Amino acid sequence: MRPRQAARSDQSKKKGRGRTDWRSIPKMSFLLPKLTSKKEVDQAIKSTAEKVLVLRFGRDEDPVCLQLDDILSKTSSDLSKMAAIYVVDVDQTPVYTHYFDISYIPSTVFFFNGQHMKVDYGSPDHTKFVGSFKTKQDFIDLVEVIYRGAMRGKLIVQSPIDPKNIPKYDLLYQDI
Amino acid sequence: MCVVCGPAVTPNYCVRCFLRSCTIFFLAKQSLSGLPVTGRVCKQQGSQGKAPRSRRRVCSGACPPLGAAGLAPPRPRRVRGHRMAKDRLHVRLPRAGPMAPAERCGLCRQTFFCGRGHVYSRKHQRQLKVALERLLPQVEAARKAVRAAQVERYVPEHERCCWCLCCSCEVRKHLSHGNLTVLHGGLLEHLASPEHKKATNRFWWENKAELQMKEKFLISPQDYARFKKSMVKGLDSYEEKEDEVIKEMAAQIREVEQSRQEVVRSVLEPQAVPDPEEGSSAPGSWKGTNSQVASISQQPSYLDLPPAPELDWMETGQPLTFIGHQDTPGVGNIHSGATPPWMAQDEEYSSGNQQIGPSYEEFLKEKEKQKLKKLPPDRVGANFDHSSSTGAGWLPSFGRVWNNGRRWQSRHQFKTEAAARNKQSHKEKKLMIS
Repeated sequence: MRPRQAARSDQSKKKGRGRTDWRSIPKMSFLLPKLTSKKEVDQAIKSTAEKVLVLRFGRDEDPVCLQLDDILSKTSSDLSKMAAIYVVDVDQTPVYTHYFDISYIPSTVFFFNGQHMKVDYGSPDHTKFVGSFKTKQDFIDLVEVIYRGAMRGKLIVQSPIDPKNIPKYDLLYQDI
Repeated sequence: MCVVCGPAVTPNYCVRCFLRSCTIFFLAKQSLSGLPVTGRVCKQQGSQGKAPRSRRRVCSGACPPLGAAGLAPPRPRRVRGHRMAKDRLHVRLPRAGPMAPAERCGLCRQTFFCGRGHVYSRKHQRQLKVALERLLPQVEAARKAVRAAQVERYVPEHERCCWCLCCSCEVRKHLSHGNLTVLHGGLLEHLASPEHKKATNRFWWENKAELQMKEKFLISPQDYARFKKSMVKGLDSYEEKEDEVIKEMAAQIREVEQSRQEVVRSVLEPQAVPDPEEGSSAPGSWKGTNSQVASISQQPSYLDLPPAPELDWMETGQPLTFIGHQDTPGVGNIHSGATPPWMAQDEEYSSGNQQIGPSYEEFLKEKEKQKLKKLPPDRVGANFDHSSSTGAGWLPSFGRVWNNGRRWQSRHQFKTEAAARNKQSHKEKKLMIS
C-alpha cells in the first residue's frame, strides 16, 4: 500500500476551511531548522519522541544539497506529524561526520526515538541515504515506511523507492 | 409317499433340478455342513449297493453327477436353520441366462454380469467412442509429423507421456536426446511397432469397435521410414538455424558495444574540448580518455543494456560532492560498531546535577501506591494476616444463632448491645474507682 501524499490528511483539511491554523505553519516556513554543533545534534536525537528524525548532513551551498533541501522543506509540513527534519553542516560537526562515515554529501540519516534506523535502498550502505531524492513522493514514502517499521519495532526496513531513482556512488574503502 | 414306489418310501427332491421323484438316486444324504444324515435310497430303482462317494442328492438322469470337475454343489433348499449355499460356498455357478460370471470391463471401469453381451451394449460403445476420440487427435498430430518432422530445443514439457489405449501403457510422446527433441517421435515409434499392431487388433476384436477406425490408429512401417528421413532433414535444418541465431546474437552484442563506446566518447569529448590550447596535453588527455573508456567498458555491471539514457539525471547531471575519506584508524565509526556520539558521556556531565532515578517526591508517591496495594488487614478471606488484632465485631455472624433477616440487622443489634455493654463497663469502672 503506497498512499500518495499520506501525511497531508490533517493539514490540507484545515487549510481547506480557510482558517489559518497556527499549528500548520512550521517554524521555519522557508528554510529547514539547522543544527550547528554536536551538542545540538545530541539534543535533537535524544529529545525527538515518537517521530522519525531526519538529519541531512551536507553543505548549504552544494547544488545537490540544495536540491535535497528543496524537497525536504516542501515536504516538511506534510510530514510534520510523522517526522522532524533538520539540516546539519558537515564541517561544523566533525564527530558525526566521522562517526557516520560521510564521504559523499548530501547524506541523510534517520532516527526514531534515539535509535538509528537502517534502510536497505539496494545500495551498499544501509546506514544513510546518499544523494538527493528524485521526487517528493519518494521521500514521503520512505519516511512513512521508516515510521511504520519503527512503530513495529524494526531496526532495518526495506526502501520503497524504485532502485532506478536511487543515486549511485562508489563506496571506496581506503582508496581501493 | 413316492408316487412310483408307493408309500414305503417318502419321495425327495433332487437338489439341483428339484425333480420330485424317487427315481432319484438317494445317496447318503449329507447336509451341506457335513453332518451325517440318513440316506434314503429308493429300493425300487435299485440302489447301487453302496452309496457313492459324492454325497449329494442328485437325480441320476437329468443332472450330471457331482464328481465332474468344477461343477457346483446343488441348489440348497431353504431349510430352517441351514444357511444358504451361496453364503457358505464361494464357487461360481455355471448357469445359462442373464447371470453370467462377474467380469470387469476396463473401458467402462465397471463390473458387469452380462458375459460377452456387454460389449454390444450402448454404454460400452459410448465409452469406447469417447476413448478413441480422446486418442485420435494425438495420433493425428503424430501422423502429420511423419511428413515434416520438427526438431526443437529440449524443454521439460517434452517429458509428457501419452496413454496408448490398445496396449494400455504409457508412451513418451516426444523423442528427446540430449538437448534436442523430435516432436511426436516417441509416439510414432510406438505406433509403428508390431506389438502395438497386435494389441490394436486384439482391442478391436474384444471391444467390437468399428473396423474402419482401426486403420487410423496404426502407422505402417513405410510411414515410419519416411518419418525417419524427415527427422534427419529436420535435425540438419535445426542446426543451421541455431548457427544463424548465434551469429545474429553476436552481431547484436557488437552493435550494443559500439553504441556504448560512442556514448562514453561523446560524454568525454566536452571535457577535452575546453582545453584546445594545451596542444601537448591534447594527446595526453586523449590517452587519458582512452584508458577511462577502457576501464568503463570493463565495468558492465553498472550499466545494463537499455538504461544508459535513463541514468542521466543521476550521473551526468550533478555528481555527488566527495568529502575526504572519513577514516582515522584509531577511532571507530558506525560500520565498526563504536558507541554513537549521542550516547557517549558528556564532559560537563556531573552526578550532582543530573541524578539518575526518581526524586524524593516521586519516591514518596511510590510508597503511597505500595500501601494501597496491600489489602485491609481486617478483611476476611485468603491470606488473612493472623497476627493482626481484630475486634469483637470481626466475626461475620456476630455470634447470633437464631438469626433470620439481613446481616445488617444482626450487625445493628450487635452494635447496640456492644454500646450498652461498654456503658455498663464504664459505669462499673467508675463505681470501682470511686
